[in-house]
Amino acid sequence: MKPAIRALGIATIVIWIFLIAFSVTALFSVMKLGIGFGEAQFFPSSEGLVLSLPFSINNSGYYDISELNITTRITDSNGTLLTLSKTFVPLVSVGSKVRAAHNISIELGEVMERVELVFNDSFFVFDTLVGLNFARIVPVQISMNMTVPWGAPFYNLSVGEIAVFPFNTTHVRVAVPLSFENHSLFDITGTMQLEVYNDVEEMVTSGETSLDTRSQQPHNEQVDMYPSLADATKLTETGKVRFIFQNPMFTMERWMPYG
Amino acid sequence: MVEEGSRKGLMKKLIPRVLKAALWGSFTFVYVYFLPRLMFPIELLPLEYSRLFYLFVGIAVFFTVMTKLFSETIFEHAFSIARALIMTIYFIVVLNGGIINLTMPMKETTVNLVVDLKAMLVILILVNLLGIAKSVFQATRFLEEKVETSQPFMSQ
Repeated sequence: MKPAIRALGIATIVIWIFLIAFSVTALFSVMKLGIGFGEAQFFPSSEGLVLSLPFSINNSGYYDISELNITTRITDSNGTLLTLSKTFVPLVSVGSKVRAAHNISIELGEVMERVELVFNDSFFVFDTLVGLNFARIVPVQISMNMTVPWGAPFYNLSVGEIAVFPFNTTHVRVAVPLSFENHSLFDITGTMQLEVYNDVEEMVTSGETSLDTRSQQPHNEQVDMYPSLADATKLTETGKVRFIFQNPMFTMERWMPYG
Repeated sequence: MVEEGSRKGLMKKLIPRVLKAALWGSFTFVYVYFLPRLMFPIELLPLEYSRLFYLFVGIAVFFTVMTKLFSETIFEHAFSIARALIMTIYFIVVLNGGIINLTMPMKETTVNLVVDLKAMLVILILVNLLGIAKSVFQATRFLEEKVETSQPFMSQ
């Protein structure tokens, strides 16, 4: 029985030494980890915007960090998925430094398909999940969610009072006051087409204007159209204006009443 | 006279045991309380975990004192087994079955940290099971020796 007791005693001591050594070195490794974040940057892409979050990991500890996986899920206020971005770093070995960037692609076309986001301020929910394997035996998962305000690019889009002025013997000038506020993070550049319809939904006249509205700036403009005298007579006190905005990233269309 | 003599004998036996138990208790306290605090500030732990740390210190010191106080008796082994069992339950409770979940509010967001310590928990349970096995063997050997010393003719 004595050898068995001795063997068990030795095994217990060896396992305790391993456990204590691992716990202490693991704790020191975590404390010695250098995690840095760069400045978040927005880049235009062919389909919209890319939010780039650069980060670096300096592993001066005693254990490898493997299978680092960063996932970001952006949903709108209704919980509808807008984008899902993933970044994978297979290994941050002991003594090495890894620089990477977590890129979140935002397809403006997809966002603009949701009419309420084009005209109304809202918020997005960012769900971020970071998973990693510490020392290859301790899986760690960090999750966080943030609410980020969304500014509508065509906030408070409205048509003022339409005025008709004489232009020449055959045509008149129809002035359509257009106003909105660009609450978004990006500048609005593109073409805005306006079509004026009377109360029987018959098109009276149309015009076009180029927009270049800076982020967080209001836009007030008078769009002039030159219908013939015959067409101008179709104009009624009330009616609708159809807005069609186009740029390489997205197209937006909206009907607004006037009068 | 006889009573006084037996009291003296008892004191002679008790005092070294009490001193030994106090010494081991103090040593264990330094080992499980001061050394970890030197390496890692316990204040950084969430309140719930710092309380559980003090509980761990209490269990370790109590059982060390008890096993040394009752050394060379069957209770020494009984306390060793009880310590291993309580420690096993303690580790399962503290490590939440191997999954530690911490929620930390940070500025405008809440960070949720999940650490999977199942592998560590398995090793901790294993080491305590080995401790139980060792104590059972020791208790059996102790009883065996007791029987041998109480029946000297049978052993010859």
